[in-house]
Amino acid sequence: MKNQWIEFIFGRVTVKVSGKGVERFLNILARNGLHIWNIKRHGTETITFKMRLEDAKNIRHYARHSECNISFLQRSGVPFLFKRLLKNSGFLIGAGIFLFILLLLSNVIWGIEIKGAKPATEYQIRKELDKMGVKIGKLQFFVDNVEGIQRRLTNNVGDLTWVGVELKGTTYHLQVVEKNEPKKQKQLLPQNLIAKKKAIIVKMDIEYGQKVVDRNDHVEAGQLLVSGIIGEDGLKPELVSAQGEVWGETWYKSHVELPFKTNFNVFNGKEKQKYYLSFGKLEVPIWGFGEHGFKKFETEKTVHKIHFLKWELPVSYIHKTIREREEFTRTYTNEEAEQNALELAKKQIKSQLDEDAIIKDEKILHKAIKNGKVILDIHFKIIENIAVGAPISKETHE
Amino acid sequence: MAKKWGQKVRNWMAKKMDLPQDVMMDLPRITMIGQIHIYIENHRGLLAYTDKELRLLLKQGQLLIKGKSFVIKTFLPEEVLLEGKIDQVIYITDNPGGAK
Repeated sequence: MKNQWIEFIFGRVTVKVSGKGVERFLNILARNGLHIWNIKRHGTETITFKMRLEDAKNIRHYARHSECNISFLQRSGVPFLFKRLLKNSGFLIGAGIFLFILLLLSNVIWGIEIKGAKPATEYQIRKELDKMGVKIGKLQFFVDNVEGIQRRLTNNVGDLTWVGVELKGTTYHLQVVEKNEPKKQKQLLPQNLIAKKKAIIVKMDIEYGQKVVDRNDHVEAGQLLVSGIIGEDGLKPELVSAQGEVWGETWYKSHVELPFKTNFNVFNGKEKQKYYLSFGKLEVPIWGFGEHGFKKFETEKTVHKIHFLKWELPVSYIHKTIREREEFTRTYTNEEAEQNALELAKKQIKSQLDEDAIIKDEKILHKAIKNGKVILDIHFKIIENIAVGAPISKETHE
Repeated sequence: MAKKWGQKVRNWMAKKMDLPQDVMMDLPRITMIGQIHIYIENHRGLLAYTDKELRLLLKQGQLLIKGKSFVIKTFLPEEVLLEGKIDQVIYITDNPGGAK
């Protein structure tokens, strides 16, 4: 038996032949190598048979020399199906558009949920997100990735300590921790204020309690500054929670080293954007062709997974930014180096201190230049709050 | 006369050398599957076809097949596959040389 599939693919037609001598006509066809099958007789002068579409084109040539009339009845097979498909291409286009829209909508931001933020902060976050382009209805491809959003929010919104950004499906979930947490209730337990380090007292600002030391007094670490035991002599002392600030001059020593020459890797602002579609491991460039021609460069790669409904497709949209890097050597003169070393030391000191501490004075104790470095030992005078609370245990006073 | 002599030689060769007769002598090879299929190779053309009768030209004589509701499933220059209900297969020969 012949494989009917070949005929199906190339198309077949049913031919009706009527007239005298149809048998002769069939013989002629067969001898000329035309495939015919399923010959049926209908009545005395008519037969029908099937043949290949490509042979049907030649049949007229043979029919002309015979006394038969031919007509085509039924057409079937892929070429005709294809023709029908073209005729009904609206459906095909519709299905395509449907899938495309579904794909598109699966990659749109449909919600931004912010948790743990006060309304004011939430408004600020939303404004910042708007600036970044993270809006409901935007495509996820053109938005920074989650880490980027997190970084920018933390940098640009002052009230945030930490923000966790998570993309779940088409919704961004933001978990916010604010800096201004509700103030803790003031401890009302009886306490003294003691010095946390050696200092000379400059200013006292006491809200509650009996001060024990005075201005210009020298105090050692742990020394009592403000007593929580108040009361007239002879009366029963009352225990209170001493509150207040005691500003003292404290001393710090700092050691800094700063090389005269420093090599930096800096970006010089030249960059090239490249866009890819990746299928598994294969990356197909779709925009940004050509070599970047940078000698030294760094590549930043942002991968956006393409979703289809809830599934992640093995296709992703990749945006690469290639930045040219340049080596830059910073050279200081002696004075500059010293100046900068001093600044560095100040920064280091400040990072150790409370925010409201003031650097009153600094003095360079020792300065050396060795191995291409400037080495400084600096003495700082700092004015800071030295008072810390120390609870009074009741047992000792009863 | 020469043609007949050639036939004789072929016949003799087929017998002596044990070759299949249909190949040697251009005889039809007929395969039947019950009553429903008949497959004829080595015919020389279609003479008449109705749904009750099929007449094929052979190299020598004709082959007449009678039956009911015939459909020619395949029609090639030397092969015919007929489907239907076959009642009779008749050889029509003027001279019985082909069969002998």
